[in-house]
Amino acid sequence: MEQLSITDFKRLLDHALTQIKVRENEFSQLDAVIGDGDHGTAIVTAFSAAVKSAEKGTEFKAMLNDMGFAIMLETSGSTSTLLGAFFLGMSDGASGTELDASGVKAMFASGLANVQKQTQAKPGDKTMMDALVPAVEAMQADQSQNIKELMQAGADAAKKGAEATVAMKANFGRARNYGERSIGYADSGATSWSCMFAAFADAL
Amino acid sequence: MKTKFINSPENLTAELLEGYTLAYKDQVALGGENIVVRANPKSEDKVAIVTLGGSGHEPALSGFVGDGMLDCSVVGDVFAAPGAQRLFQALQLMKREAGILLVVLNHSGDVMSANMACQLAERAGIKVKQLLTHDDISAGIDAPINDRRGLAGCVPLYKILGAAADEGKSLDELLEIGQRYTANVATLAVAMRSCTHPQNNAIISDLPDGIMEIGMGQHGEGGGGRKALVSADETAAEMVDLLCQQLKPKAGQKAMLVINGVGATTQMELNIVFRKAYKELESRGLQVVSSRIAEILTVQEQAGFQMIIALLDDDHIDYLNNKAANAPYWTTIGK
Repeated sequence: MEQLSITDFKRLLDHALTQIKVRENEFSQLDAVIGDGDHGTAIVTAFSAAVKSAEKGTEFKAMLNDMGFAIMLETSGSTSTLLGAFFLGMSDGASGTELDASGVKAMFASGLANVQKQTQAKPGDKTMMDALVPAVEAMQADQSQNIKELMQAGADAAKKGAEATVAMKANFGRARNYGERSIGYADSGATSWSCMFAAFADAL
Repeated sequence: MKTKFINSPENLTAELLEGYTLAYKDQVALGGENIVVRANPKSEDKVAIVTLGGSGHEPALSGFVGDGMLDCSVVGDVFAAPGAQRLFQALQLMKREAGILLVVLNHSGDVMSANMACQLAERAGIKVKQLLTHDDISAGIDAPINDRRGLAGCVPLYKILGAAADEGKSLDELLEIGQRYTANVATLAVAMRSCTHPQNNAIISDLPDGIMEIGMGQHGEGGGGRKALVSADETAAEMVDLLCQQLKPKAGQKAMLVINGVGATTQMELNIVFRKAYKELESRGLQVVSSRIAEILTVQEQAGFQMIIALLDDDHIDYLNNKAANAPYWTTIGK
């Protein structure tokens, strides 16, 4: 697949929402270890707002911008801040109704850049950045013109990144107060973002 | 058991804001649901000063909307952030060429609401910059800024910024004036009796009789040091000492001292505490040039107070003491 159309992108979003819903409880249970146990609900609510907004989208830039606005205006909390920032950033790096491989790479890189403006968390801090950063970096490094292969590289890196959080000690936000107790469980945010990237690749 | 004169808990915030704006209708008005604005907006060529925070802390924060202080406060439910949607609505209302300075108290919900609303505002062509307050020192001396909550030290800042904005300072100049203040203000809270949440009657961080807790948060949450209750002088001396460890003042510097009652401590006690704190500062060679004893930010019926000390520059002193302000809960005649 060398071009990603708006229709393809909507399919990918729908599939990601389906997969996130399937694992909603798992994300909340992981969050309960070192947080308030609502991450599953939070990501489903935020992603649902984005998918609903995307239904009427006809062009990448406006559609992604509206998705970001929908998340931030209809939901609240850190999950929404970061997911909303991701789509707003993607909007900055995308335009038109079809993207080739370099267009997809640029869109995801721009999404990551905007998330990095919102959080100081870095890979290794046991947050969603442990999935997002390697995923986007792997996509940038991939030379394939095939968008499915590109997304698969991102999904593989996100999965590896999320799995690596099991051994990590939380180093960011309120979770940091749990110190050693946070070791042994994957981070809920890294796990849900990895699930999202896996679904993006599967849907194509 | 009912302990408060309220009606339906879910209408509490709307009702208290309605009562407040009816009482002071020459000064404040509702600009939308949970948005308090000045009754007589200032000229749009001046930067707007906006803040946000949960209700339950009356008169804060909306008590300081008025001439010479805030242009707008955006109110959340009891002890809760207002959310990005309402804040974005307020930013749209305050939109102007000169820009908006958004004062954010460091509490995670408020910070998130502000970050989201500012991202949206930027995309909607609204010029807005954030100024974070983090005056609490209960996380430890020289603790990272992210770990320090915003307490009542924001209130004198509203006065400083409001006066500077009236003078025609630009958004960047206001940010600089505000950052110099936030870098040199420190607040410490002490509680001796906790409070109940007005919506569910839950007792927040119950304190046994005869015990006080230094470092108590603005929502009654515990902060650390519980110990046997001591005299006003001993309490004040210990708090001044901790605040000065953070501020590291030099003899000859000019200081602001504010004692903020948080709800159930009498004005009598606050005066007695102020007396000792003032003398402690004087004994360190500091000159107290601006002061106040009042309930500016409360925590329901919690007994206790917040002690706020700031080291001020000359422009801060001028804005605080010499420029007029006329908000329902802060009046300065000016010179």
